[in-house]
Parts: sequence; C-alpha cells; structure tokens
Amino acid sequence: MQPCSREMQGINALLNPPQISLQDLHDQQQQQQSQIQSSNIHRQVQNSHFDPTSHDDFLEQMFSTIPPPSCSWSDLNPAKTPAAWDLNPRDLSDDTAPLNPDNNNNVAFQFDDSANLASKLRNHQISGSAKSAAAAAAMMLQQQLLMSRGVAGAGDSGLIPMPLSLGSADDNVDGSSSFKSPNLGAHDDSVQALFNGFAGSMHGPSQTPNQTQHFHHSQGGPVQGQNYGSPGAAMNQAPASGSAGSAPAQPRQRVRARRGQATDPHSIAERLRRERIAERMKALQELVPNANKTDKASMLDEIIDYVKFLQLQVKVLSMSRLGGAAAVAPLVADMSPEGGGDCIQAGGGNGGAQRNQTASSNDTLMVTEHQVAKLMEEDMGSAMQYLQGKGLCLMPISLATVISTATCHSRNPTNRSVLQPNGGEGPSSPSMSVLTVQSATLGNGTVDASVKDSNSVSKT
Amino acid sequence: MIPKGVSLNPNSRKTRFARRFICALSQMRNPRPVSSSNEEEVRKRSHKIKIAAYLSMARAVGSRRAWSRALLFKLRTRARRHNIMIGRRSLCLKKKRVIKNDPLGELSQTNKLRHLVPGGKTMDMCSLLEETAHFVTCLATQVKVMQTIADHFAK
Repeated sequence: MQPCSREMQGINALLNPPQISLQDLHDQQQQQQSQIQSSNIHRQVQNSHFDPTSHDDFLEQMFSTIPPPSCSWSDLNPAKTPAAWDLNPRDLSDDTAPLNPDNNNNVAFQFDDSANLASKLRNHQISGSAKSAAAAAAMMLQQQLLMSRGVAGAGDSGLIPMPLSLGSADDNVDGSSSFKSPNLGAHDDSVQALFNGFAGSMHGPSQTPNQTQHFHHSQGGPVQGQNYGSPGAAMNQAPASGSAGSAPAQPRQRVRARRGQATDPHSIAERLRRERIAERMKALQELVPNANKTDKASMLDEIIDYVKFLQLQVKVLSMSRLGGAAAVAPLVADMSPEGGGDCIQAGGGNGGAQRNQTASSNDTLMVTEHQVAKLMEEDMGSAMQYLQGKGLCLMPISLATVISTATCHSRNPTNRSVLQPNGGEGPSSPSMSVLTVQSATLGNGTVDASVKDSNSVSKT
Repeated sequence: MIPKGVSLNPNSRKTRFARRFICALSQMRNPRPVSSSNEEEVRKRSHKIKIAAYLSMARAVGSRRAWSRALLFKLRTRARRHNIMIGRRSLCLKKKRVIKNDPLGELSQTNKLRHLVPGGKTMDMCSLLEETAHFVTCLATQVKVMQTIADHFAK
C-alpha cells in the first residue's frame, strides 16, 4: 500500500490541485478511516473542481504507473473482463475498463479506490456540516471522472449500469436514491452514483477481509441497489463485526450468539424456554422427596405422585377426627361415637405382617376395642394411653386401607390392618409412603402402622 | 392451647390458613351426634371439610397465584351449582366431564399434571411447573396444619 501512496503522491505533485484530491483520496484509502476523516476531508472540499483534460492525463498516468494494490483488491477482480459492464457497481473493473482497455485490473482498482475514498470521505463528512459542499465536491469529482472516461472512449452504456445501484446505497448522500437514470446526460446523478459505488468498494480494502467476502458475494450479481446498499451500510456501521465466524455482518439488532450457537431468533427463544423449564424443574426437585432422578420424565412422574399423595393426605385428614372436631367446643361428646365408627385398630408394628396373624388376633382386638370405646367415653387421653400400651394406634379406615395396599407392594413387612383393602386410591408407586393419622402421642417410638414419610411425620 | 412446635409468625401462610380453616370448621357444627354413624353423613362432612380446607388455603394465598384463582373460581361455581337446581346444572357437569375425557388411553405426564393442579389446563409448560411448585408447598402446609389440628383435637 505504501509504495502506491508514495507514487500517488509523486504523481500528485505533478498534477493540478484538483487531481491532488484524487491522490489524497487514494492515500486515504490505504490508511485508517479515522485518518481519512481527519486529514483529507478539507482537501476534498477545497478541491472541488477538476480540469477534464488534465484529469484525463492524470488518469492515464495513474493507470500506467500505479503498482498493484493490496491483494484483496486483486483477489476481487481476478476474472473481470473490461466488457463486464453490467456487473455489480462494486466490481471495479467495470469502471476502469472503458477508460483504458489495456489497464490491468490493479490499476483500475487504484482509480476506483481513490474515487471511492472521495465518496467515503464525503459520506463520513456529510453527517454534520459540510454535507452539501462535500456532496457537491463529490459530484464534481464524479462528473470529472465520468467525463474523462467518456473521453477515453468508454461507452456510455458501460458506465450506466454501474451508477444504477449506487444511487440508493449510501444514506448519507443527498439524493442518492434518485440516481436511477442511466443517462449520462444526467452527469451529476451518475457521478454521484459512481461515487457511491466507489465508496462501497472503497470500504472493502480498508476494512477487514470479511467485507471483501461481501464484495465477492455481491459481484457477479445483477445491478441491484439494495444488494450494494445493505452490505455497504452494514460494513459502514459495523466494521468490527469481525471474522469471529459466529455472527455475520448483519444489522445491529441481531443478538450476538456464542460460538457454535445459532443466531436464529427462533432457536434463541427455544433455548430460553428450555432453560426456564429446566430451572423450574430443579426448584420442584427440591420440594419433592425422592427427587434424585435425573430423567425429566421420571421427575415428572415423581411430581405427579407427590401431588396425588398430598391431595390424598388432605382427604384422609378431612375424614379423620376433624370431621368430628368440627365444633371447637368439647370434643369428646362428639368424637366418641364417631371415633368408634371411624377408627379401626391396627396390629402392632412389631408383629408379623401376615394376614393370618392379624386374623388370629381379631378376637383380642375385639376385646381391646370395647375397652377403648369405654375409655374414650371417659377420657380420650386415657384411651390413647391404653392403646399405646398395647402397641396399637388409631387410624381412619380409609387410611388403613391405603396403607395396606401400599404395604402390599412395598418391601417393608410392617403390620397389616384388618380391613378390607380399598384398592381405589392407593398410591401407584411403591415408594410412596402414607401418613398415619395418629390421634395419640405416638411420637415416642411407638410402632406405627405406616411407613413414615420424611416430610409428613406425625409430630406428636 | 396452642400445641408446641408450631411457629407463631402471625403473617405466615400457615397461620393464615390455620385461622381460616378453624373458622370454617367452627362454622360447621355437628348438631346430631348420633347420625354420624351413617356413612353417607360422614362422607358428606369429610367432603365439606376438604372443601373448606382447600378454600381456606386458596384464600390465604389470595389472587396472586393462578392456581388459587382457578381453585376459588371452581369452588364458587360449584357452590352455586349446589345451591341452584341440579337438573339444569347437570348438563354443565356433563359437558365438563366430556372435555376431561381424553380420547387417548394414556394421558401424557404433562396432561396428568394439568389435571391435578387447579387451573393447569390453560397454562404452558413453564408456568405449569411454577404453579405446581407453589401448589406443592401450599399442600404440604395444609397437611401439616390439618395434622396439627387433628392431633390437637385428639388429645
């Protein structure tokens, strides 16, 4: 790049001031954008007119003397032919071919680069103050270029397609959208469009190689304003999109995805949804006992079972002495007859879990039952203590049936109750534990008729 | 008379539920002690108690949760149905049941959960799980309180 600029500078010294602007533009192209903005803007604005004839000579000189530009540019147009006029305006050879047929592509790049530099400078500057002036300067420059090209023998048709797409490229340019007419007679428009095109192509070499890919991509396609405009604008706005490989130079609104993940909004939403569900499942896992399952399906099964179990507990509790304890007032009068109806007697926990054993002990149970009923009429506490002494407990019938069905499946050979199994509401999984509704103070190690759940231990 | 081991935080969900539940229980009086031997009566009363428990729990939670709102709505409509003539309402009941019947033999797990959690039929998976978590904590609280009351009354 540097040799080019130096040569250009040398050429500049020989040429008229108007041509120096081109030279400056070319220099700028080699440098950073910031430098472009700082140094050459004023010069461009000042040198707002060209001498067509000297311009033509200057161009020829440029073409003959300018060494090959950066490799990116040479890569850009390896196969471009001078006659490929109707290619994308950023195809630089289009611009230069009619000017000097025996130019090599590299030379064409140089010229285009400078012109692009001019338009780019203009674009950068237009945002603020010297918009009209810069635009006028650019227009002038373009006009000169076009005229010189025309003099060099370029066909009008050749130049026409190129400006077509350039018109709508840059939002900074005034009236750029109106540059649709391919008529060389509208010199200003075409020149403007030309500059827009140059600006776009100029952006390429001065920026990351990523953008040259866009050049490649856009080249060979039909002349399309939008085709040029969007990548140009994108490059202008997001020069640092970089070659990370994950996020192409798309509009800024796209979410920057990590490497290896899609940037598609659908997949992002899907990912968010899955993450939310996962964290909710984790929260549920802490609530539900026996939650050491890693599988989502089995975890859901556990949750369902636990909810069913809790609802069953509520139902059982509502059937228990609570039914009789509806009145806060003295309970014994209410409870004793109900207690007789509701309560059953279960075999001792230390006994065998076989039905025959419980069947054999039925007689003794009957006696105990009468005793308990008698005691309950007097004092519930004493009745409970009597039961405790016998190693028995009181529980509702439904609960006992539930326990019996549960213990049928479970490995725990606890005691069985005498009741007929209900079979309807027993928990499905054997790991379920059933709470015993204990009406006595059985927390001190007295045997229960149930497998205690870690959560729902009867506190007593 | 408060049993030991019960936290006395006046504003906790537990105490709010307990208060409401006991009030509801006291409103349910049992004037006829003899008829309690009738199984039907027992079942009706236990059903009433269960409804009272759920109602007081939903009221204690308030309208903050979707499941509590759904539960309150369901209980209110059910109460209204009971109060009005049954003949006309049975149609609504049947319609509801038809909707519940699934043409598939096996309900998926999510569907089962939806049936269990009140108001779960119209929720997406994410909020369904959230409501389930809250529902489970409230159910556990309910069971604990009822257990405590039952134990207390048993002494």
